[in-house]
Amino acid sequence: MRTLQLEFYKIRRRKVWLSMFAMLGVQLLWGLWAMRNPKDWELASGWMSLLYSLSVLDGVMMPTIMSLLASRLADIEHKGNTYKQLRTLRPAASLYQAKALCGLIILVVLLAFQAAVFILYGYCLGYEGNPDPRYYLLSYGLKFASCLSLFLLQLLLSMLFANQMIPLVVGLGGSMVALLIMFVSHYSFLPWGGNLSASVVGMDWDENSRIITYFYREYSPAEIAAVVCIFVWVAVFYLAGRILFTRREV
Amino acid sequence: MTALYKTIMAERIKLRRSPVWLAFFCLPLISAFFGTNNYRMNQEILQSEWLSLWTQHSLFLCFLFMPALIGTYCSYLWRLEHLRNNWNSFLTAPVSHFALYFGKLFQGVLMTILGNVWVFFLYFICGKLCGLNTPVPKAALSWFLFGTLGGIVVCCIQLTLSLWIRSFAIPIGIALAGGIGGMLITNKGLGCFYPYSLYAIGMRANNPNMELPAGQFLSGCVVFILSCCAISVWKLKRGES
Repeated sequence: MRTLQLEFYKIRRRKVWLSMFAMLGVQLLWGLWAMRNPKDWELASGWMSLLYSLSVLDGVMMPTIMSLLASRLADIEHKGNTYKQLRTLRPAASLYQAKALCGLIILVVLLAFQAAVFILYGYCLGYEGNPDPRYYLLSYGLKFASCLSLFLLQLLLSMLFANQMIPLVVGLGGSMVALLIMFVSHYSFLPWGGNLSASVVGMDWDENSRIITYFYREYSPAEIAAVVCIFVWVAVFYLAGRILFTRREV
Repeated sequence: MTALYKTIMAERIKLRRSPVWLAFFCLPLISAFFGTNNYRMNQEILQSEWLSLWTQHSLFLCFLFMPALIGTYCSYLWRLEHLRNNWNSFLTAPVSHFALYFGKLFQGVLMTILGNVWVFFLYFICGKLCGLNTPVPKAALSWFLFGTLGGIVVCCIQLTLSLWIRSFAIPIGIALAGGIGGMLITNKGLGCFYPYSLYAIGMRANNPNMELPAGQFLSGCVVFILSCCAISVWKLKRGES
């Protein structure tokens, strides 16, 4: 607990919250711009389209945002060359856990804020009815797991490599892979495709009428496996990071 | 002139054996692979051969990933000085502040040019692999030249930001945000006044008519490049960053 408190103390003036909310602000602007001036048929299925748009936006942006967050948390130690000192004060595993937990708390707040702002925007646009809490909570949970897996992957890389270019390029590459997966599939077993697999809404575009129909997804066995895979990635990245960091020479 | 050459060589020594160039190799490769795949899957709709292939290759690379990639490289260039006490030795080198900045700028611009050469090489190879037998459009040379100029603008902006901001990650976040903003601003027709749009405009990404307002574009590039150089040199002259 004390190590966790110290993590928040370390980032006090590093504007981590500000940078994360700024990235979220860009995502919001993109989303608001994409969803402006809805047509009647869009208003009818607005709450579903909102969930779909969010999963697309997150799919593209979250790998990079998570790499920025992890880099901000880990780079303090690289810059100050503090690993040696910290290892003499606390077990390496507890330092890793504290960083992971710190990122997790930031992520919970960030995603809750994102959901709140988009729901508010939905009401402002005049979407019909109310958001279905069951699907919105499920979507939040799955998205959180997916972003957590990405964050843990990035944290692992950011803590292992002093050269932060490597984890950030992996984050950028992840965004690119996620974007390109969208063109070929709506689920993926790769960690960067987690936000797509986690989407609880699917869509069908009619080429002739140019109308999009949204529907709550009924998961096929392969899609369920892809969702389960998100949790597997969380466990794998957490354990791998913990083991590699603990055994690393500092 | 000797001072400029010396700073360039010094920067080269700092970057020797650093794998940073790998990023410029790998990311365009991913983009080209998926872009080509998408083109092949929709070949019955995308009938303009090389032009259609270019739309698939360039759209997301130009707006989203290349600015962030250039930003990553620029962040790395200044990170070498931001670490420990390197500013002391950097600023006390017996060369002018402009020469110090020029060394960094040269490396950034060189990597931007090489990155763009690689993007176009992949475009050519992928076109041949897709079975396009017609010659590559001559306009591709103009896309390359103007695109590279736009890339240099992004490079200058990012060098200035990375000089100013000590964090490695924040300027990259700004580049990503800038690229996304570029999509929206270009859509409004104001792209030539926004630095992160210039690369995509020069490359004619998401531009079905492949037109370019050359006058506006060139003036935008010159203004941004000169302003960023002036601000960066001024910042260096002010002392330790």
